[in-house]
Amino acid sequence: MKQLKAHWWKFLGVAILVIVFLKGMLVPLSAGIISVSRNSAKPLENLQLVVKGYNTHFKDSKGPQAWLKLDSLYSIQCSSFIVADQTTATVAFWIPAGLPYEGTRAPLTLIIDNEVDGTSVLPFAVSFVVNDIASTGQGWNVEALEGLHERTHTTYPFRNILNETIRNTYFHVPLWFGMMVLFIASVISAIKYIRSKDPHDDLKSLAFCRAGILFGILGLVTGAIWAKHTWGAYWSWDVKQNMSAIALLIYGAYFVLRNSMSDNDSQARIAAVYNIFAFVTLIPLLFVIPRLTDSLHPGNGGNPALGGEDLDHSMRMVFYPAIIGWTLLGVWIAQLSYRVDRLKHKLLNH
Amino acid sequence: MTLSKEILFLIRKEFILEFRQKYAISGILLYVLSTVFIVFASFFQLPKQVWHTMFWVITLFAAINAIVKSFVQESGSRQLYYYQLVSPHAVLISKMIYNALLLLTLSILTWFALGFIAGNPVRDLSLFSGALCLSALGFSITLTFVSAIAAKASNNATLLAILGFPLIIPILMTLIKLSANAVGLLSDTAYINDVYILISIDMLLLALAIFLFPYLWRD
Repeated sequence: MKQLKAHWWKFLGVAILVIVFLKGMLVPLSAGIISVSRNSAKPLENLQLVVKGYNTHFKDSKGPQAWLKLDSLYSIQCSSFIVADQTTATVAFWIPAGLPYEGTRAPLTLIIDNEVDGTSVLPFAVSFVVNDIASTGQGWNVEALEGLHERTHTTYPFRNILNETIRNTYFHVPLWFGMMVLFIASVISAIKYIRSKDPHDDLKSLAFCRAGILFGILGLVTGAIWAKHTWGAYWSWDVKQNMSAIALLIYGAYFVLRNSMSDNDSQARIAAVYNIFAFVTLIPLLFVIPRLTDSLHPGNGGNPALGGEDLDHSMRMVFYPAIIGWTLLGVWIAQLSYRVDRLKHKLLNH
Repeated sequence: MTLSKEILFLIRKEFILEFRQKYAISGILLYVLSTVFIVFASFFQLPKQVWHTMFWVITLFAAINAIVKSFVQESGSRQLYYYQLVSPHAVLISKMIYNALLLLTLSILTWFALGFIAGNPVRDLSLFSGALCLSALGFSITLTFVSAIAAKASNNATLLAILGFPLIIPILMTLIKLSANAVGLLSDTAYINDVYILISIDMLLLALAIFLFPYLWRD
């Protein structure tokens, strides 16, 4: 019981991470549409789309429905929905003679709904190409879609391109948060050292820096794996990738600097000075320059920021605890490393 | 003596030292000229992009070579003597100002040498000169302070490169954007924001260097 009182934050961190791993890995994605067999439609044809679903239960559902949606007003309802298996179905639509507005081309969004999976959406599924500019409202549904089902169990949002990698949100992003917290703790200990000259503050600063760099490397690796699946290459020369690699070089140089000096006192002092200087250059590197340049990351260069449909409530329930859990784990790692260093320091001084 | 007087006096000392030991400055000049020559000999024709790249590569390495000696050319005991005689801040600031002037001269020389041999693609003269001034200031503040750190450790030439290069990259990337505008590789009308960012990074680092230097020189 005494142990639990003194080390509650370690238990908390580990418990949170266990939940993060379990929930992060086991909760399924919601149903989605991976692909359709055709990408364009001509006026007045009977469009047959072979739809490939993901995590869908076409066979188990009773009355699956499908729409091709032009905008909030106009849509086309499917004329037949033939289920092949749980994830494959052939959907037929009668395409109208023309667009309700003037124009020659319009993207249509495919919406599929059933009572087991809820509603799934594939934006810009089919492009409707018309030769005749004249507009006609004939053949279009003008009622709002009705009778859509909601999912009953917890799922993570299905995003095309992201697919299952959306789970990386619980690892890649919190690792960077954790790294920043550890580097801030490191620089605070460095400032404390140059004021107090207490060697323990220097050892703390070193330990936080070590844990921070470990988190930084893990953040970079998880990011590279994510990039391979979404952007197509492990290293895409994205500005944030480059800047965080440079940030790690700066902190790598911290260890080179420490090792190049043998005298303990001046080593600690100069390392602390460099640590403060390095931390300040980290701010433009990570927070100013990436905002000035286009990036593939969410929230940059016209990409939607984290949030909205990418980070819904089911994900927030895991994402925010994950930040706390990873940070607590990082602090624990730093504490262990600090205790080893302190013992070594004691041995050297006796 | 007031701080400004001390600084002026120390800058004069740096100039005198440089003229007495001509090998250091002539070595850097020779480095710049021979690199420009090698660049031309291997490319023959320099398109704008290559010109711009080579300009910054040559300037950056010239800066490292020029600044590496700031805190090691004089012995530790003589430096201690300076710190007793004048304020340590005066020593640091005078070295920064001297290095900024030296770097500005070197980058203008590189500009002329590259322009003489391979033509001058710079369209916006004032923007490019402004970028050179900001580069001299930024490189000088960062590298002088890092060389003060590196001088405390052994093997300081390598250490300066290891510590200095990553720290200088945020400045360098903003500078490259500015000068790419001046050369005509980019057409960004809002470059004034980059100028503000450079100035604020420089001022931040300068304030930090002045604040931290007293903890550095004392042994």
